[in-house]
Amino acid sequence: MRSLFKRSTPASAPDTAALGSSALALRVPSGTPVPQACIGVACDKAGATRRVEQGARLIVGEHERAYCFHPGPYSVELTPFASAPELGLQLTFAVDCPDPRVPQQRFDLYLASEADEGVHLAAFAGAIELSLQRELAQGNLELAPCTSLDEWNAFRAGLNQLLYQRFGVTVEDCLPVDLGERIDYAQLLIERAVAAPAPAAQATPLVMLAPLDDAQALRRLFLELPGVTSALRLVALPPGQAMFRQHQALLQRLDHVGMLFQTMPSLELAAPGKLLDATCQAARARHSSAALNALDEAWSLVARFAQTPAPAWFDDADRILANLEHHGAGRRAPGKSA
Amino acid sequence: MINRPDAAHCRTTLADGSVATVTATRRPRGTRADVKCHPAALAERMQQVVRLARHTEARIDSRDQVVISIDRNPGPKERDWELAAVLADRMVRAVWQGAVDVHANGWSEHWELGRIDGHDTPTSGAILGGAPGLAHLGGLSGQPDCGASVSAARAWFPLHSGGVNDTLCWVEVSVYPLFAPADDEEDSITAPGMDLAGQLAVRQVLVGARHFDGRGLGRWRTVVRFAEPRFQGNSFELALVMADRIARGREFVPRARVIASGCSSAWHAGQVDTVEGCAPKCALIAREAVAGDRILLPKAWESMLAPDVAAALRSGGASLAWIDRIGII
Repeated sequence: MRSLFKRSTPASAPDTAALGSSALALRVPSGTPVPQACIGVACDKAGATRRVEQGARLIVGEHERAYCFHPGPYSVELTPFASAPELGLQLTFAVDCPDPRVPQQRFDLYLASEADEGVHLAAFAGAIELSLQRELAQGNLELAPCTSLDEWNAFRAGLNQLLYQRFGVTVEDCLPVDLGERIDYAQLLIERAVAAPAPAAQATPLVMLAPLDDAQALRRLFLELPGVTSALRLVALPPGQAMFRQHQALLQRLDHVGMLFQTMPSLELAAPGKLLDATCQAARARHSSAALNALDEAWSLVARFAQTPAPAWFDDADRILANLEHHGAGRRAPGKSA
Repeated sequence: MINRPDAAHCRTTLADGSVATVTATRRPRGTRADVKCHPAALAERMQQVVRLARHTEARIDSRDQVVISIDRNPGPKERDWELAAVLADRMVRAVWQGAVDVHANGWSEHWELGRIDGHDTPTSGAILGGAPGLAHLGGLSGQPDCGASVSAARAWFPLHSGGVNDTLCWVEVSVYPLFAPADDEEDSITAPGMDLAGQLAVRQVLVGARHFDGRGLGRWRTVVRFAEPRFQGNSFELALVMADRIARGREFVPRARVIASGCSSAWHAGQVDTVEGCAPKCALIAREAVAGDRILLPKAWESMLAPDVAAALRSGGASLAWIDRIGII
C-alpha cells in the first residue's frame, strides 16, 4: 500500500548552492522548490519552455526537464585572441528580466537546447570565448591595436548583441584587462618548447566524433533553426522589390534547411535494418558538427541585424545557408552498409 | 563585400630548375567536390594539402569549387610545389589579398596547423617555406603562430624614397623566453644585418616601449629583422613597437597586417610623434592596403590630409586610426 502513496519529492533536496557562483543553471528533479533568488524553467522535448517563479515547486511531466537558474551577475575573464594570452577582457553579464515582446526568452531556448545537466560558469565562459574569437577572426567584430574610443564602443555594441542573441545573457560591463598577473606568456612558451617533441604523425588522425555529439548537434539544429528563421523573418528591410525577393528566397531556403534537419536519418542506419559502416558514420557526424558551426554563425548574423543595414549581410547569409545546405545533404547522404 | 578574382597564379621552382605555374580558378560548386586538381598523378596529394591548409581559415564557404592545376609535371617525390598550391587556393578565394606575381616554394607535414616545415629549392625573390622564411601561414599577414614555442610577429612601414621605389617594408620581432632574467635589457636585443647606429636605435626604442608596458622587461631574448636593413629615418619605430607588443602577446591582433608610421621622443611614456612625408606615404598605403589591414598613423597627420584620402583608405576594408599614444584604448 505504501508504494501507492509514495511521495513524488526526492528524499534529499538537490544541491543548488553552486547557483549564482560557479553555475548559471542546474538540472533538478521534479518537485524541487525553486531556491531563493532563482527562477525555474521546465523544458519539454520539442523545446517549449515555461517559467516557474521563486518559491513555487517546479513540477514537470515525464518528458520534461526541470532547470533552476540564477540571474547573476557573473564575472569572467576572456582571452579575445589566442595569440595574445596576456591581454583579456573582464566581462560581467547577467540573465536579464524577461522581455515581454518575445514568445520565448533566448536564455530559455539556450537551456532547452544546450544545457544538459546544467550550465557551469567555466564551460559557459569557454563557449563565449570561442564565439568571440570566431567573430573577431571573421571580422564581424573589430578589436584592432590602438583601438579608439569610437571603435571600442562599436565593439561593445556588437558584443552585447552577440551575447544576447547567441546565449541569451546581457552584458553589464566589459573592460580590457591585463592578465599578466595570472598568465605568463614566456612561461607558456617554455612549456610548449619542452612539451613539443614534434610527433611524426604520418597520416592525419581521423577525428572520431561520438554518436552522442551527433545526436546533440541534431537536437540543437532541430530546436534552434526555427528561432533563426523567425529572427530573419522579423528583420526590418528598406523598401524595394528586389531586396524583398532576396529576403523571401533566403527565408524559403532556411525553411527548407529546417525541414532537412527535422527529418534526418539516424546516424547508424544506411537503410531500414541495414547498418552503416564506421567511416561513413564518422563522415556523417563530421557533417553534423560542421552544420552546428554554421548554426552558430547564423546566430551571430542575427546579432548583426541591428547594426548592419540590410544588403550588407545578404552575402554572408547566403554563405551560411549554403554551408547548412551542404552539410545537411552530407549528413543525409546514403553510405555503404556495413 | 570582397571582390574575388576568377583566377589566380602562383609560380614555383621545380627540382630541375624550371619554373612551373600553379593556376587556381573558381566556379560555382553545384554538387561537386570543394577542390579539384590536375594532373592526375598529383591530384590526390594536392587535394589533401589544400584541404588541410583550409582548416586554419576562419570563414568556411562551400559555395565555390576551386580547380587547381600545374603546367609542368613535378617528379613523383617532389613536394616543393605544395606552398604554391595553397597560396593559389587562398588568392583565388581572396583569403590572401594584395599579392601580385607570387613565387613560392615550400612543403609541410603539418598543413592542418598552418605550419610550413621547409623548402628544397631556394630561389631568390620567392616566398620560401620554413624558418627563417615563412614558417606559418599566418605569417603572410605578420601574425604569430599560436602553437609555436617562439613568438614572431611582423609589422609593415612605408619606405619613401621619392617616387616609384616607394615600398612597404616589414620588420619582424621574434621573442624567445629567458630562463633567467636578463641583467641588461639592451644586451638581450639583437638586430642582425643592421649597422651599429641602427642596432642602437632599435634597442633604445624597444627598451623604452617595454618600460611603458610594465611587464616587458627582463623576460625575453629578442631578435629584430628588417626586410631591407639599409634605410634612413626613424619612421619605422612605431611599426617596430607594434610588432614587439603583438609578439609578446600584449596587444590586440589585427586580422591582416599592421601598417604603421611614426616615431617618438618618449617611448617610455607611450607617446607617438609625427614623422615626415605624410602625403606620399598615405598614397602608398592607400595603394597597398587590403581588407583587414590596420593602419596606424600619427595624430598630427589627421589635419594635414584631405578627408577623401582617409575615406579611400577605409573603403577598401582596412581600418585606420590616428594615434598620439600606444596602449589599449
